[in-house]
Amino acid sequence: MAEKKLSKKALSKSFRNWYYGHLTCFSQEHMQTFGYLCAMLPLVEELYDTEEQKKEAMQTYTAFFNTEPQLGTIIVGITAGLEEARANGTGDGEMINGIRAGLMGPVAGIGDSLIVGTLIPILLGIALGLSGGGSPLGAIFYIVAWNLIITLGMRFLYYKGYELGGKAVEFLVGEQANAIREAVVMLGTVVIGAVAASWINVSTSFQMLNEEGGVIVDLQQTLDGIFPKILSAVTVIFCWWLMSKKKISPTKVMLILVLIALIVVVLGFFDPGLAY
Amino acid sequence: MEISVIQAILFGLFACLASMPGMGGTVIGNYTLGRPLVAGLVVGVIMGDIQTGIIVGAAIQIVYIALVTPGGTVSADVRAISYIGIPLSIVAIKGLGLDPGSAQAAQMATALGSAVGTLGTVLFYGTATINLVWQHMGWKAVEKGDFKKLYLVDMGLPWISHFLCSFIPTFIITKMGSNMVDVIKNYLPMDGIAMKTLFTVGSLLPAVGVAILLKQVVTKATDLLTFFFGFTLAACMGVNLIGAAIVGGFFAIIFYNIKMLQIRKPVAAAGDMLDDDDEEEI
Repeated sequence: MAEKKLSKKALSKSFRNWYYGHLTCFSQEHMQTFGYLCAMLPLVEELYDTEEQKKEAMQTYTAFFNTEPQLGTIIVGITAGLEEARANGTGDGEMINGIRAGLMGPVAGIGDSLIVGTLIPILLGIALGLSGGGSPLGAIFYIVAWNLIITLGMRFLYYKGYELGGKAVEFLVGEQANAIREAVVMLGTVVIGAVAASWINVSTSFQMLNEEGGVIVDLQQTLDGIFPKILSAVTVIFCWWLMSKKKISPTKVMLILVLIALIVVVLGFFDPGLAY
Repeated sequence: MEISVIQAILFGLFACLASMPGMGGTVIGNYTLGRPLVAGLVVGVIMGDIQTGIIVGAAIQIVYIALVTPGGTVSADVRAISYIGIPLSIVAIKGLGLDPGSAQAAQMATALGSAVGTLGTVLFYGTATINLVWQHMGWKAVEKGDFKKLYLVDMGLPWISHFLCSFIPTFIITKMGSNMVDVIKNYLPMDGIAMKTLFTVGSLLPAVGVAILLKQVVTKATDLLTFFFGFTLAACMGVNLIGAAIVGGFFAIIFYNIKMLQIRKPVAAAGDMLDDDDEEEI
């Protein structure tokens, strides 16, 4: 019997199904499981002839799946390679699910920090810089840059995963991958700092006046003399401290800020000076 | 300013595409159409005022610069922020007579967008819960070996969930939006404590977005220094974001090389075989 090999057509159909459908039917219980089933279906249909074999193969992918879907494309690619190997008689469903379950967590962690935590904020940061005064240029830049990078990237990951099969695991969780990740996160952190300084504007209108109404102390000017934008920096660190050290949820942090805003307004530290 | 039926229908449709989990997929839906900056452009085009749309979108974008949904838990809903919050903010800014380019307009949009986004999480859980019905049908299909049905379950039927949880709420709320502005005008004077608080909250909220990101990348206190390095570049030295990305990239490469030196040392002692492998994988 000739060795079974997946056709280009089946692979690209599988990739497309994952690219579009990984989260369309999301629920808290099964998350990306149905997207995964749809991605594997074109492959299973090509590799196996009898209904029984198809059923057995598809049964493997009914196990729960959830990860960061963009980087997670590599896992789908890996299983495409492993499924091909299984059709040729090496490996079994248990092994495939072991690799899948083992990679889900680490890939989610890496993907969240690299893609959602670094790539998107950098692109959006640059886009915001181009949006000054209401220019649509920034939004257009983001649409083009993001879709180009991520579509080509996901394609690359899928076929790389398929090619390497089980060997890709080392590539994903190895020390070098870790070093790359840490370096990229460092770049991201620098950009986030710049985003914070460019776009957060916490300022006070508090002034101490003498009897004739002249200004003795302009609090904002004094603070700017110490470190520009110090109030914005303090606010960020305060929120970070609440969330990471006190384990308070973002929604509750927002409510705390509402309370603080009310207090500083009543104390007279803030006044936009508007009327209808 | 009125929102017409056709405009409200379009907002509803984009809400279906852009949400997480949405019918546009995550690449084009959630991460493109769902980003407030892009939504600002889309809503601006629909409402015939691109400039105000972008200004409002950009202001709200900073709060949600890193909307991470670890394990499917959300603190805000993108469809609500983008296709309910942005249209309402534009209506409010125009209705209250604020200058779209002013800091107050941005603060108003930020506060309103975040409030709508937080309340909108109910739509996220609603959609995910209704999807359970389709998934139940999916499991039956898998058992029977009727695999073609999976496509319908994954990519077709969730439109029904979105019609109920995205389209209808967006349509109704944006259509009613102009009434809201009249209520604000009548009961909340601009120089009163409530409105001043709203503007102050609007200036504080972007800090939450940045802090969510920091929480992810800062594992030890010294990592904060990296953040302040970027902050100082922009605040004290006036470097823009592309400049900061280049300087950051330079330091990242140095960091990577140092890290690799540490890793390679023991490997080189063990033999050159592994070393070659590493280079291939780059």
